[in-house]
Amino acid sequence: MVKRTEQRIKVLVTKVGLDGHDRGIKVVASMLKEAGMEVLYLGMYQTPESIVRAAIDEDVDVIGLSYLSGEHLIFTPKIVEEMKKNGLEDILLIAGGTFPAEDIPTMEKMGIDKVFRAGTLTDEFVQYIVGNLKR
Amino acid sequence: MSQTNEAKTEKTHEGDWDAYIKAYYEKPVSFKSWSGYDVKEIYTPDDRSVEDYGKNISDAGTYPFTRGIHANMFRGRLWTKREVVGIGSPADTHARLKYLAEHGGSGLNTIADVTYEMGLDADHPWAVNEVGLTGVNITSIRDMEALTKDIPLDKVSWSLITASTAASVTMAQYVAVAESGGYNLAGLRGSIQNDPIHFRYCGFRPACPLDLSIKLGSDVMEYCTKRLPKWYYTTVNMYDLREQGINASQEVAFGFCIAMCYIDELIRRGLDIDEFAPRFTFYVSCHIDIFEEVAKIRAARRMWARLVKEKYGAKDPKSMQFRFAVHTAGCSLIPQQPLNNIVRVAYEALAAVLGGVQSLHCCSYDEPMCLPTEKAHLQALRTQQILAYETGVTNVADPLGGSYYVENLTDRIEDESLKIMKQVEELGGMEEAIRTEWLDRQFESEAVKRQKELDNGDKLVVGVNIFNTEQEKTTPLGVQRVSEQSAKKQVEDVKELKRSRDKDKLKDAIKRLRDDAGEGKNVIPAMVDTTKAFGTTGELLGTVREVFGYSYDPMETIESPFNW
Repeated sequence: MVKRTEQRIKVLVTKVGLDGHDRGIKVVASMLKEAGMEVLYLGMYQTPESIVRAAIDEDVDVIGLSYLSGEHLIFTPKIVEEMKKNGLEDILLIAGGTFPAEDIPTMEKMGIDKVFRAGTLTDEFVQYIVGNLKR
Repeated sequence: MSQTNEAKTEKTHEGDWDAYIKAYYEKPVSFKSWSGYDVKEIYTPDDRSVEDYGKNISDAGTYPFTRGIHANMFRGRLWTKREVVGIGSPADTHARLKYLAEHGGSGLNTIADVTYEMGLDADHPWAVNEVGLTGVNITSIRDMEALTKDIPLDKVSWSLITASTAASVTMAQYVAVAESGGYNLAGLRGSIQNDPIHFRYCGFRPACPLDLSIKLGSDVMEYCTKRLPKWYYTTVNMYDLREQGINASQEVAFGFCIAMCYIDELIRRGLDIDEFAPRFTFYVSCHIDIFEEVAKIRAARRMWARLVKEKYGAKDPKSMQFRFAVHTAGCSLIPQQPLNNIVRVAYEALAAVLGGVQSLHCCSYDEPMCLPTEKAHLQALRTQQILAYETGVTNVADPLGGSYYVENLTDRIEDESLKIMKQVEELGGMEEAIRTEWLDRQFESEAVKRQKELDNGDKLVVGVNIFNTEQEKTTPLGVQRVSEQSAKKQVEDVKELKRSRDKDKLKDAIKRLRDDAGEGKNVIPAMVDTTKAFGTTGELLGTVREVFGYSYDPMETIESPFNW
């Protein structure tokens, strides 16, 4: 196990599928960088497979998913499954975007560690990441 | 029980009321407009030159139309209450249109989903997961028939929201259905968004290469000029640009710069400015700063009039009239304390109406959570109706005209917007600003600025950085889900259509489309014929894409089935 406390936290943030709303994810990427983390933004049109491949290649501590087109319940189980298949249980998995409050427990049950909605302030998600790394 | 009560009482005495007392002395923390312009304590006659009334302001209905494009504004006709609809299958979307019509909606307005905007058929491997999630997918003429079923196309006014290069296909599909239904094209009223250039900033870059955006966008405009004289064939989308986080002046400036790309191309094709400018429309955002939004709209009207007259030499006053629809700012709404969004939308809609809007979509309160439920959709429509029938804001044209503050802010936004347009010109024009990703950088840095304003408390949003005590676990009027069955059925129907259609007829139509595209002709007539031969969205667009040297499939997953 790599001891991460002395290194920079490495975060992969990404879109999944065809959802093109990328204002939020780019802002999150910038804010995480300003908080001293190493951030990799994969861009749009990613698949569960391409996300997990990049997470392995880049040896990241955190994966951040951005959902704004109602696709969160479709892609989350596929990404979690792909992560499990590749033994990535020690990566912190977070998601942000627009979805109904009702779906947050469902997403957490599916395997997302923490869900942030639109209107979250930077401090909240930065503190969460710093305090909840799994490796 | 009694113990708890006692404890509570005691705590109250210790200071629960302090907040109340402190709140009594509250005052605003910032004296800036939403766009960051310093605002004075009071505005007086010194802040604007009244003697320039005729030149800069003038009565509604007269050049430069600062106060409105009609002399009597809403007395002549109310704005069109046009709620955006797009959910699941064409039949599901049709049902919601009918529901809104039954409750007083006055304009049809349907929006494409992500798959359709990307130019993908419902059975495309990237589409099958997402059909109908954010709008409606029209793959074949059958889908357009289902969407328009029983609707008298010669009597209604329909706004088709397809913005990407797929707008060319939407136009062809609508025309094909209208012709098959025996309608005279010259009588059709409505609009198509058809602004592919802006749509590369909304996640559709693979479907919107710049040259193809200008080519197909202009093909739609040119075709409609000749065939659908009552149709508004582009709605330059300033709203989507604003949603990226930019300010009011940037919204106008970038929107106008994009509009000029199309204007220049149409003029290059030999059209006269007065042939097409009267059919240009705009999609404007109304954000939460009421006075600034009204000022922005007034500035945009004046700037458009002058641009079209002075730069392009228009003579017809209709060319100089800035016609616009408003979409209340989706990005101003938040999922925390969701019912408050109803109030935000009402203020934004008020700004739109005070600004003299032609057509209005009010966001439903559940916008930052899901597609609108029927109840939320109806509530948004009711917001418009309260505004139209109860508040009296429809009585007078440009009621804020002559306000020292609003006139000053109008001048300010005009000045700032013109400065930005000048900057774009110096960069080599909008196409160059897009190619060099200058525009991307503007969006990104402004969006970060907006987040920092919230983090620092420079901008306050109730439920985000002030008064944020509640944590709702449910959505008040329920959640809209998209029917998985509908999406599956649509995918199956498309597969069946592709199996059963007359392949020779289709082959001939595709060949003509390919030839027309290759010869630089306007491709819309061939697209109409190919649609009638059951050619699909992906097939029409893919065929044209290949001619222009792009992959048949924007997602580069499937090959053209027509490689003979």
